Amino acid sequence: MSEQTVDLTNCDREPIHIPGSIQPHGVLLVLLPDSLEIIQVSDNTQELIDRQPQDLLGKPLSSLFKAKQIAAIRQCLAEDFENVNPLDLGIKCQNKSRRFDGIVYQRENLVLLELERKSSKSKSDFLYFYQQVKGVVTKIQQAPTLREMCQTVAKEMRKITGFERIMIYQFDAEGSGIVIAEDTDLETPYLNLRYPASDIPKQARQLYTHNWLRLIPDRNYQPVKLIPSENPITGQPLDLSLSGLRSVSPIHLEYLQNMGVRASMSISLIQERQLWGLIACHHSSPKHLTYGVRNICEFIGQVMSLELATKEKAEDLDYKMTLKSLQTSFIESLSQSKSLLDGLVKLKPSLPSLVNGTGAVVCFGDRYIAIGQTPPEAALLDLLNWLKPLLQQDLFHTQCLSKVYPPAESFKAIASGLLALEISKFHRYYILWFRPEVLQTVSWAGKPNKPVIETTDGTGRLSPRKSFELWREEVTGCSLPWKPCEIEAVAELRSLMVGVVLRQSDELASMNIELRRSNDELDSFAYIASHDLKEPLRGIHNYANFLMEDHATELPEEGVRKLQTLVRLTQYMEDLLNSLLQFSRLGRAELLLKSVNLQDLVQQVIATLTITRPQDSLEFRLPRSLPTIKGDQTQINELFTNLISNAIKYNDQPQKWVEIGWIKPEEEQKNSEPPTLLTFYVRDNGIGIAEEYLNKIFQIFRRLHGRDEFGGGTGAGLTIARKIVERHGGSMWVESIPGRGSTFYFTLVGEDAK
Amino acid sequence: MNGSTAPPVGQNAPLLVIEDSDEDFEAMQRFLKLAPVVIPLQRCINGEQALAFLDRTGRYTDPHLAPRPSLIVLDLNLPKTDGREVLKRIKQNESLQTIPVVIFTTSNNPKDMEICYRYGIKNYIVKPIDFGQLKRNMQTLVDYWLEVTTLTKNQEG
Repeated sequence: MSEQTVDLTNCDREPIHIPGSIQPHGVLLVLLPDSLEIIQVSDNTQELIDRQPQDLLGKPLSSLFKAKQIAAIRQCLAEDFENVNPLDLGIKCQNKSRRFDGIVYQRENLVLLELERKSSKSKSDFLYFYQQVKGVVTKIQQAPTLREMCQTVAKEMRKITGFERIMIYQFDAEGSGIVIAEDTDLETPYLNLRYPASDIPKQARQLYTHNWLRLIPDRNYQPVKLIPSENPITGQPLDLSLSGLRSVSPIHLEYLQNMGVRASMSISLIQERQLWGLIACHHSSPKHLTYGVRNICEFIGQVMSLELATKEKAEDLDYKMTLKSLQTSFIESLSQSKSLLDGLVKLKPSLPSLVNGTGAVVCFGDRYIAIGQTPPEAALLDLLNWLKPLLQQDLFHTQCLSKVYPPAESFKAIASGLLALEISKFHRYYILWFRPEVLQTVSWAGKPNKPVIETTDGTGRLSPRKSFELWREEVTGCSLPWKPCEIEAVAELRSLMVGVVLRQSDELASMNIELRRSNDELDSFAYIASHDLKEPLRGIHNYANFLMEDHATELPEEGVRKLQTLVRLTQYMEDLLNSLLQFSRLGRAELLLKSVNLQDLVQQVIATLTITRPQDSLEFRLPRSLPTIKGDQTQINELFTNLISNAIKYNDQPQKWVEIGWIKPEEEQKNSEPPTLLTFYVRDNGIGIAEEYLNKIFQIFRRLHGRDEFGGGTGAGLTIARKIVERHGGSMWVESIPGRGSTFYFTLVGEDAK
Repeated sequence: MNGSTAPPVGQNAPLLVIEDSDEDFEAMQRFLKLAPVVIPLQRCINGEQALAFLDRTGRYTDPHLAPRPSLIVLDLNLPKTDGREVLKRIKQNESLQTIPVVIFTTSNNPKDMEICYRYGIKNYIVKPIDFGQLKRNMQTLVDYWLEVTTLTKNQEG
């Protein structure tokens, strides 16, 4: 074979429906529809009905049958012939009447009549049919699982037909057939063997959906030609698609021979008009079944076909119930959590079991939460990017990830099976489930990918493989398949989660409105503090002063002193109001971020603070030049002013000092990511803070000392300082030893000084 | 509402105080009285009244009832039409925009200060809760008044 590549798919092009011949176990008569004139016959009429073909051609059918039988045939054609066949017909041969099963049907505007000899003892009445079928149908319906139904059918079919081996095939998505049930006494079982898709070519599959039953009583038959070979009306070979007698493809005969099968019968199993599988019957010697028995077999095939859907649905019923209850409790607790992420994190341990996976990853934008056995996080981004365009209705699944996505080869041991769910494309929310690789052995009946090809006379004729010896294939990189019910569970989970997300986003929206309103209230509060509260306060202050100015002489000294206290209190209250106002403004004011040279800024702050207390013995220590940072100049100034003035204020040492410094990043872990947070500190040798107060000093108006001790103050300085640091994206904390001093640490974003 | 003290009705144009708080106005009066000259005072208690007075509308159509002030002291937070709006209208009116304005307010909001200085005000004084400071602020006000009235007289002369 050189020019033309021949492989088993060549079978797909073999015109098996027009072989031009039939098998010899019956006679075929082709008739014109109205006159029932015989126009084509099989060349075995002499043997079966004692008439030479030439004697029949051109004759009306009435030359063979009595008027009553002709009427029955016409009646049959007028009705739904499939339901009437076979007809009980008799033909006079050598003065004796021979009984035949007559099967009549129409094709290409022609009437075809097949006659099969009835054995004298054949029982074909309805009662017999009913008795044979009734028990089987009941057993089929009662079988709890698909497998058990198949096993029952195989067993019953063998009883009815007497074939040596009955197998039930199921075709998978790729078209290869697997023997899922078998009943035989033969030594070599075929159960669980796989037959490659190419064993049954496409057009043969097509015919299987037309003819539900196909019988080959003897593989070694002599094909019977039709006379004339072409149909006189169409001028074409006769279409024998519907013919039970149709001659068998030589390739198929060879196939049977190689398998050691002499007689075979197959019954189609059809689900939703698709060939779901076959009931295949094998016999090592010639075997003929009457039309009546074949009818029983075909009927059983039909009943079984009807039951397929029911049995498949019932499959894994317990498992489905478990999945369902897992899913329900999952969604219940999810809807009780604050956010989807929150809920998923809380439910972490149960997530993989939702679909019987061994690992799962929840992807929330750039965050990955891995549970159980999962690929390394570094591989997830690429996997997700590859996956996104492949999602169909938000789902993707494969049991052999490394075959479709080669980078998965490195983690196929833990993640050969992938089931992916997209919750939100916009937010990049995904859940991935993984299953480990399961090393599987697939047993083929013969080596599937190496068909034996013979070339004779250079035409590249092909023949099926000769060996059906068990051939095992190791399948790697695949997990157990995702069951339809698991995939459905995930699809359902998505819609349930979307519901939860929607409800939560509603709640979030109303919380936002609430928040905005309370912010507005805070604004008006700040206004009240600044204006409305101050006005009466100013009045009290001024009138107390008027009183002292105008009536001091009339008042006793005690009265004047009380008025002075009143005035002082109004001033203190104004300080409090101003602090409150400043603090509330701080949270809302826009930050004007720019480069701030801290060295200059701190020098200025020190200069300003020392102007007011020139007599103090005060030392400022700056161990190293301070860097430039990114911040709001005014607020950073306020920050250092508050901290340094506190350091001076709360100090009763004769020799006071304040140290302002920073910790260079290389002294910490250098691997911190940009923008670099720099740690600053303000340290003093002051009075320190007792440990129990360390977490209280940042509360607003929290004072640890009497109002007039340590220079007074409102107690808002540290609160404001920390607020400033937090608004700049940093944090503030304190370390202190009472009596020795305090160190206030805080972080600010450094400006890259390059 | 004529809040000025009795004659001799100076030929001087009055000092217009736009202030809603009676206590604050009384405090001002108390100090302005101590000035070496009599300062005629005119008070409006809200924005509407101030604008009517300045535009000579409503009950101020008679120019004798609404003499042009020599100096305006304006509070920002007023009921209804507030001081910011009043300032804007004054500065947009050609016959009024030359009258010096001093803001005397509780607001220490930098935004308010910026806007007011943009309108070319003479000074921005935050009302203090400090008696001494109040005295100094009022002295400043008296000095301004003397300054503008002297200048006007000189120009007239």
